[in-house]
Amino acid sequence: MLEIEGLSVRYGAVEAVGNLGFTVPKGSITVLLGANGAGKSSTLNAISGLAPSRGRIALNGAELGGLPPEEIVRRGVALCPEGRRVFPSLSVADNLHLGGAVHAKGEELARRTEAELDRFPILRERYHQKAGLLSGGEQQMLAVARALMSAPRLLLLDEPSLGLAPKVVEQVFGLISGLRTQGITILLVEQNAERALEIADHGYVLQSGALVLSGSGRELAESPLIRDAYLAG
Amino acid sequence: MDFFLQQLLNAVSLGGIYALLALGLAVVFSIVALINFAHGELMTVAGYVLFVCILYAVPLPIAVVAAIAAAAVAAAATERLAFRPMRRADPTSLMLTSFAVSAILKVLFQNGISARPKPVPLPPDLSGTLTFGPVRLGTVPLASILVTCLSLFALTLFLKRTVMGKAMRAAAEDFQVLRLMGIRANRVIAAAFALSGMLAGISAALWVAQRGSVDPLMGFVPVLKAFVASVIGGLGSLSGAVAGGFALGIAEVLFQAYLPDAALPFRDAFVLGFVVLLLLWRPDGLIPARTGRRS
Amino acid sequence: MTRTRRMLTLCTAMALCGWAAVGAAGAEEVTIGLATGQTGGLAPFDQPSLAGFRMAMDEINARGGLGGTYMVTLDIKDTRSDTGATVQAAQELVAAGVKFLITPCDADPSIAAGQISQAAQIPTMTFCGTTPTITDAVGDYMFGSYPADNGQATLLAQHAIAKGYKSAYILKSPDSAYTLRLPEYFAEVFQKLGGTVAGEGSYSLGQQDFAAEVTKIAALDPQPDVIMTAAYEPDFPAFLKALRGAGVTAPILGSDGIDSPTTTGLGDIANGIVHTTAGFPTDGSPLGEFYAKYEAVTGAAPETVYVATGYEIPYILDAAVTAAGTMDGPALRDALANLENVPVLTGSVTYKGTNRMPLRAITLVEIQGGARVPVETATPDPALVPAP
Repeated sequence: MLEIEGLSVRYGAVEAVGNLGFTVPKGSITVLLGANGAGKSSTLNAISGLAPSRGRIALNGAELGGLPPEEIVRRGVALCPEGRRVFPSLSVADNLHLGGAVHAKGEELARRTEAELDRFPILRERYHQKAGLLSGGEQQMLAVARALMSAPRLLLLDEPSLGLAPKVVEQVFGLISGLRTQGITILLVEQNAERALEIADHGYVLQSGALVLSGSGRELAESPLIRDAYLAG
Repeated sequence: MDFFLQQLLNAVSLGGIYALLALGLAVVFSIVALINFAHGELMTVAGYVLFVCILYAVPLPIAVVAAIAAAAVAAAATERLAFRPMRRADPTSLMLTSFAVSAILKVLFQNGISARPKPVPLPPDLSGTLTFGPVRLGTVPLASILVTCLSLFALTLFLKRTVMGKAMRAAAEDFQVLRLMGIRANRVIAAAFALSGMLAGISAALWVAQRGSVDPLMGFVPVLKAFVASVIGGLGSLSGAVAGGFALGIAEVLFQAYLPDAALPFRDAFVLGFVVLLLLWRPDGLIPARTGRRS
Repeated sequence: MTRTRRMLTLCTAMALCGWAAVGAAGAEEVTIGLATGQTGGLAPFDQPSLAGFRMAMDEINARGGLGGTYMVTLDIKDTRSDTGATVQAAQELVAAGVKFLITPCDADPSIAAGQISQAAQIPTMTFCGTTPTITDAVGDYMFGSYPADNGQATLLAQHAIAKGYKSAYILKSPDSAYTLRLPEYFAEVFQKLGGTVAGEGSYSLGQQDFAAEVTKIAALDPQPDVIMTAAYEPDFPAFLKALRGAGVTAPILGSDGIDSPTTTGLGDIANGIVHTTAGFPTDGSPLGEFYAKYEAVTGAAPETVYVATGYEIPYILDAAVTAAGTMDGPALRDALANLENVPVLTGSVTYKGTNRMPLRAITLVEIQGGARVPVETATPDPALVPAP
C-alpha cells in the first residue's frame, strides 16, 4: 500500500534519514523500531508532509512526496503524532470535530463522532471537558480518535504507548490490533519493541537513519540483534 | 464619588477601544507570531473609506460596514502580498516586514490621497450626551462601550462555535497538528488576518468618531497602545489582550484624573511605569498565552 | 555746458553699466535648496508649503528671475521628517553651493539644518516654523516667515480681554513647543492685561482621549470664562467633543493649528470657536485672488493656508534680492533683515527691528454654522508680544 524508496530527510546539515526504503502492505501492522534518534519519527513526519524529504513516497502508486500535510491527510494518510499533541484549551468535542471537519459534514460528521465515542467510551464521559485536563492515557485515546475522524486508509502512529501506565499500554495495543481488523493499515513507531512485535505483521529496524534489519514480527522478535538491543533490558 | 464614577465610566470606554485594538494584534500574533505594526494603517484604510462614503452622503451604517470590510480586505491583501512570502522567516524578520508595510502604506496615503487630514464629519445627533443620574456619557463613548461588548460577544461566538473559529484557536496552540487534520494553513492565516482587519475597522470607526478626521499617520498612536495593551495582557492571548486593553485604559484615565497638576505632564511616564510594575509582577502578562508548540 | 557734458557722460556711463548688468543677468543662474519633510510627520505642513513655493518661483523665473537677475533652479530633498536626514540634506545642499536654504515647518530640524547654513553664511528660512526661538537659536542667517507663536498668543489674549473674559483655563501638551508655549504666551499676556488663569490641563499628542481631563474641567467651580488651547488634530476635535459632552459651555480660543476643514466639519459644537490663522481668503482680497488662481492652475483649491504662506516666501526673497542687488550671503542677510512692509498675500511682512521672526498681520476667525467668519486682522503690538 505504501512504498518508500531512497527516502532521506535532512534538517540543515544533519541527515536524520538516509536512503531508506521499505513497504507497508495493505491491511497490515508494520512497525519501525530503533533507538532514540534512529530516524523513526522523521520518517513518519516525511510521509505525512511535516518534514521536507527527498525520495519516493507512494500510496497505492500515487506519489505523496512534496505535498503539504493538508493534502496528504486528504489522500487517506493520518498521523497521530508523538506526544499526543491534543489541543489543550479546546474541548474533547472540538478536538474530534476539527479532526473530521474537512473530511465529513453534517450527519456524516456526527456519525463518525458517534463511532469514535463508541470506540472510546471514556471520551464520551469527558466530551465537554478541555482536552488539557485529561489524563495521559485519555489524551492518547483522544489523539487516536481525532486521527481516525478523517477515516484514513493508512494510520501512522508515533510512540502511542510513551509515558502511559502499563495497564493503559495494554489497552492501546489492543486498540491497534482492533483497528487492523477494521481494515485500516497501520505503520507504528514504538520504543516498546516487545509488545509492538507481538501485534506486528512486519518490522523494520533503523539505526542512524538507515535500515539494518527487517522481517516478520516473529522473526524480528527472535533475532539476536533485537533481543540484545531492545528486549533484554 | 460622582467624579470617581464618571472617571470609571471614562476608563471603561477608553479601555474598550484599546481592547479591540489589542485583540486585532493578538489574533494574528497567536497564529503566526507576527506583531503586525501595519495594523494601524488598516485603521487608516477604514478611515479613508469612511471619509469617501460620508463625502458622497452614503448612510452611516452602510459607510461603517464598508469601512470594516475594506480593512478586512486590506489585511488579507497585506497577508497575501507581504507576509505569506515571509512565512518561514523568524519573528524578527516578520516584524520588520510589518514596519515596511506600514511605511509603504503611509507614503501611499500621503502622496496618493493627501498629506493633510481629511474631515470625517459625523451626523450631529452623534455628538449628543446622555445623562444617567450623576454621570454623563457622550454618544460616541457610549457607542464605544456597546460596540466593544457586542464585538467581544460576536468574537467569542465565532471562536467557540464555528469550524474556522475553533481552527484558529487550535492553530494558536499547535499549527502543525491542525494541518495534519487537513485544515489548510493558508486559509486559517488569511482568515486570522481578515478577522484582525475587521477588528481594526471597528476600532477605526470609533477612533475616527472621536477625532473627526483621518490622516495618513493616524494609525501610529493606536497601534502603539494596542502593542502595550497586548504585552500587558500576554502576547498572543486573546483574553489577555482584552484584559490588557482595559488595564491600560483604566490606568491612563485614573492617572489623568488623580495625578497632581505638577505631575500631569509626566502622565505617560506614570502609565508606562505602571506597565513595568505589572510586567515585573507577571512577566508573561496578565493572562499568558498557552502554546502547545513543540520542536 | 561743462556741467551738462559731465552729466551726459555720467548718464551714458550709467546706461552702459546698466546694459552690461542686464547682459550679465541673463547668464546668472542660482540654486535654492529645500530640505523639507515631503513624507512623514511634517508632510501635512511641508507639502502644501512646497506647492505654493514652487508656483511663486516659477512665476518669478518667468518674469526674469529674483531681483530681475537670478534665474532659480530648485534642489528639493525630502527629509522624511527626520531631523538627522534634514541635517544630511542641508550638508549636501550647502556643499552643492545653494544660495538660499529652506528648512521644514518645525523647530528642531530647522535649528539643526540652520546651524550648517549659518556656518556657510547662507541665508535660511523655515517654511512655517512658528517657534519664535528658532532664529536666535541659530544666528543671524536664520529667518522665519510665518506668524510666530508669541504673536498669535498676543492677539488671542487681546481678543479675550476685549470680549470681557476674566478667567481662562489653558490646556497644553509638553510634547511640542507649539502646544506647550503658545498657551503659556497667552497666559502671560492675558495676565498682563488683567485676566487670571483659572486652571491648567495637560494632554499627550495623539492621545485623543480627553474624558478624564474634561471631567476635571466640568468639576471646576466657578467655571472659567474661556478655554484656550493650541491643540490641533486629532486632539482638538476629540477635546471639543468630550468637553461639550461633559456639559462645559465655556467659549474656546484656538490657534492656527485648527485652521482645517476638520474643525468646520464638527457641526454645531464648533460654533463660537475663535482661532488665529495666517490669513483668511475673502473675495477680492489678494489671498482670495490667489486661492482662485491656484484652483485655476492646479484644478483644486488650496487645502490650507500653508500653500499661500509658502507662495509668499519667493516674493519676500525677491524683495531682498532686489534691495541687495546680489545673492551673496552677507549682503542678502542684511537686506532680508532690513525689509519693511513687503506686501504679501496676507498683508505685509517686516523684519526690520525684529529677531528675524517677521512682524506680520494675523487674522482671527470665528466658526459659525460650519464656516469661518473673519473677526479681525491685526498686527500684534510689539510692546505686548512676550519675549521668546
